[in-house]
Amino acid sequence: MAEPRTLARSGKADQTSVDARRRASLGWLLLHVVVILGAALMFFPFLWTVITSLSDGVGLSTEPRLWPENPSLSGYETLFSERPFARVVVNSFLLATATTIAQLFTSATAAYAFSRLPFRGRGIVFAVYLATMMIPLQVLVVPLFAQIRAFGLINTYLGALLPTFAAAFGIFLLRQAINQVPRELDEAATLDGAGHFRIFWQVIIPNIRPALATLTIFAFMGSWNSFLWPLIVLRDAELQTLPIALAALQGQYTTAWDVVMAGSVVSIIPMLALYIFAQKYVIQGVASSGIK
Amino acid sequence: MKRTLTAVGLAAAAALILAGCATEPAAPGADDDVVVTYSNFISAGGNEENLGLIVEAFEAENPGITIDVTTLPYGDYFTTLQTDLAAGTIADVVDTNYDFFPQLAASGALAPLEVSNADAYRESLIEAYAVDGVSYGLPSSFSAVVLYYNADLFDQAGLDYPSADWTWEDEQAAADAITALGDDVWGSHQPVSFYEFYKVLEQNGESFLNDDGTAVAFNSPGGIEAAEWLTSKSGTVMPTIEQGQGSPDFDTNLFVEGNLGMMHTGIWVFGAVADVPFAWDIAVEPGNGTQASAVFSNAVGVSANAENIEAATLWAEFLTSSQTMVDVRLDSGWELPPISDAAQLAVYLEKSDPENRQAVFDSLDGIALTPLVESGQQEMQDIIGEELIEAQAGRKSVADALASAEERINAVIGG
Repeated sequence: MAEPRTLARSGKADQTSVDARRRASLGWLLLHVVVILGAALMFFPFLWTVITSLSDGVGLSTEPRLWPENPSLSGYETLFSERPFARVVVNSFLLATATTIAQLFTSATAAYAFSRLPFRGRGIVFAVYLATMMIPLQVLVVPLFAQIRAFGLINTYLGALLPTFAAAFGIFLLRQAINQVPRELDEAATLDGAGHFRIFWQVIIPNIRPALATLTIFAFMGSWNSFLWPLIVLRDAELQTLPIALAALQGQYTTAWDVVMAGSVVSIIPMLALYIFAQKYVIQGVASSGIK
Repeated sequence: MKRTLTAVGLAAAAALILAGCATEPAAPGADDDVVVTYSNFISAGGNEENLGLIVEAFEAENPGITIDVTTLPYGDYFTTLQTDLAAGTIADVVDTNYDFFPQLAASGALAPLEVSNADAYRESLIEAYAVDGVSYGLPSSFSAVVLYYNADLFDQAGLDYPSADWTWEDEQAAADAITALGDDVWGSHQPVSFYEFYKVLEQNGESFLNDDGTAVAFNSPGGIEAAEWLTSKSGTVMPTIEQGQGSPDFDTNLFVEGNLGMMHTGIWVFGAVADVPFAWDIAVEPGNGTQASAVFSNAVGVSANAENIEAATLWAEFLTSSQTMVDVRLDSGWELPPISDAAQLAVYLEKSDPENRQAVFDSLDGIALTPLVESGQQEMQDIIGEELIEAQAGRKSVADALASAEERINAVIGG
């Protein structure tokens, strides 16, 4: 089969390569058109949010506009002047950062134990951890609330944080990543006299950075967007987080959409920045530990 | 396999125990100054400062009592309240709407109220929050649904303006004439929803539930006629769902743009349509033999476990009947105060935009109350909403939709 093709190519070499190039460039063009169209479609709702946030006193229009009607920053002014919105942004940021740091620590140490320390009932304990992922928060809200109340932590940051300190998902994600680190590295380190803590810190952690970055994003995003638990446990306007403050912008009967959208834009920006910063790691992390 | 099943079972049980164990509640602290906690949704979304004015006036009048206000979004307020009910942590004074009141009162969480000035309230409203003649809530505000109309479009079509004696037939004729004015112009908008359906049923001499509230009563010839009146506007005198009908503020935007002849909505839209460049007014909603208007009210209840029920009741009364509250609400257009004194409401009637504010009070002559059931209220509302949308979209006939709704709702409410 190879012979005739070589002959044919040598006969019409120039023409074929021109055709191939043309086909390639046509494919390149089509691909880019499709990708750009897809990106525009994905980007449009965000653009509409921004446009509405800059339109003074205008409701959600029946036909989306590409330019703000009555352009004004009054939505943003109302947001920051009539409500403690700056405080709310700081609250969300602090809670998300604390949750992320705590989850990185608890998940990494637990994942190391599940991956590297053989102990009786390890499989069952791991299954128990995974099972907690199957129980929706709605089922747990009342007992969890009673528990946090018994600790006297209602309306405190710690009350909002405690249930988020350890996450089964993080343990699962990091255990998968640690399982992929060759045990020979541990053994070599052991021969050099390293203990578990040193192996964990100097061998395992540097090798699971993409997974740690992924968990950072997921934990931060989870806390940033978390609604039900902060709604129930944080009551003072000064303590509330972004999603609750955003919801509180909607009235029983009417809603000032420009203010709501201004709040949405403010809440999106930090997540967008974090994602752009770490997207390489997210893709690596999901690819390496998710699809095994 | 058996080992795996045992492991999974054990894991699930342990997970539930780990995640759900609860301990004894802590004892509340005591202080010399009385702090009354108040959890509300009424001020969320733009009236926080107005509530602040009422709180300030109360604290100035009652030294030694401080109001600790928590404002929660309306959409999620009841989730929080239900958690508080389950955990026994409700605030001293709590907001409720009419729909949730029976559940709240039945939970035993509310204290019976010794109302010192019951006459100050509009009778129908204070009665709505009483159980067997005992008040468990004080109405804090109300809003009515009326018929808005674009007077310029009526003039263009050579029509008389809507009046209190209008019927469905009059509305239909006007809606047809206005729709015929142009491709982008629509005659009348009415949401297809539970809240509109029980009202049109009453306008047609029917009711949503049977007398003892154990089963639905709408699957009758009169009920089908009412549902047809509601759903047939779509695509004829009102845009379809595909054209955006049903999305937030759709009707208000269409009206403000000058492309809608009439809309059925609440008085809370006054502010949004105040500055339109055409003449507009309101009228009592037309009936079909019976005048019935939807009136929505909110109320406050006092917790039976409040540390100082007396102080909490004092605040509840101030919030719902004081002169400060009346002034703040009327000045800012924050719904209507639930008071009986017509003289105090004169300020409201004298304002323009709309001219015919009397229609708001005339609407109260025939109130269609929200049908309430002991359990399954939300599911009932969701089911009828879904079935009516099926009929509106033409996927089911109105008769089929009501028959299906009847079967599904009766199964939920135990009829």
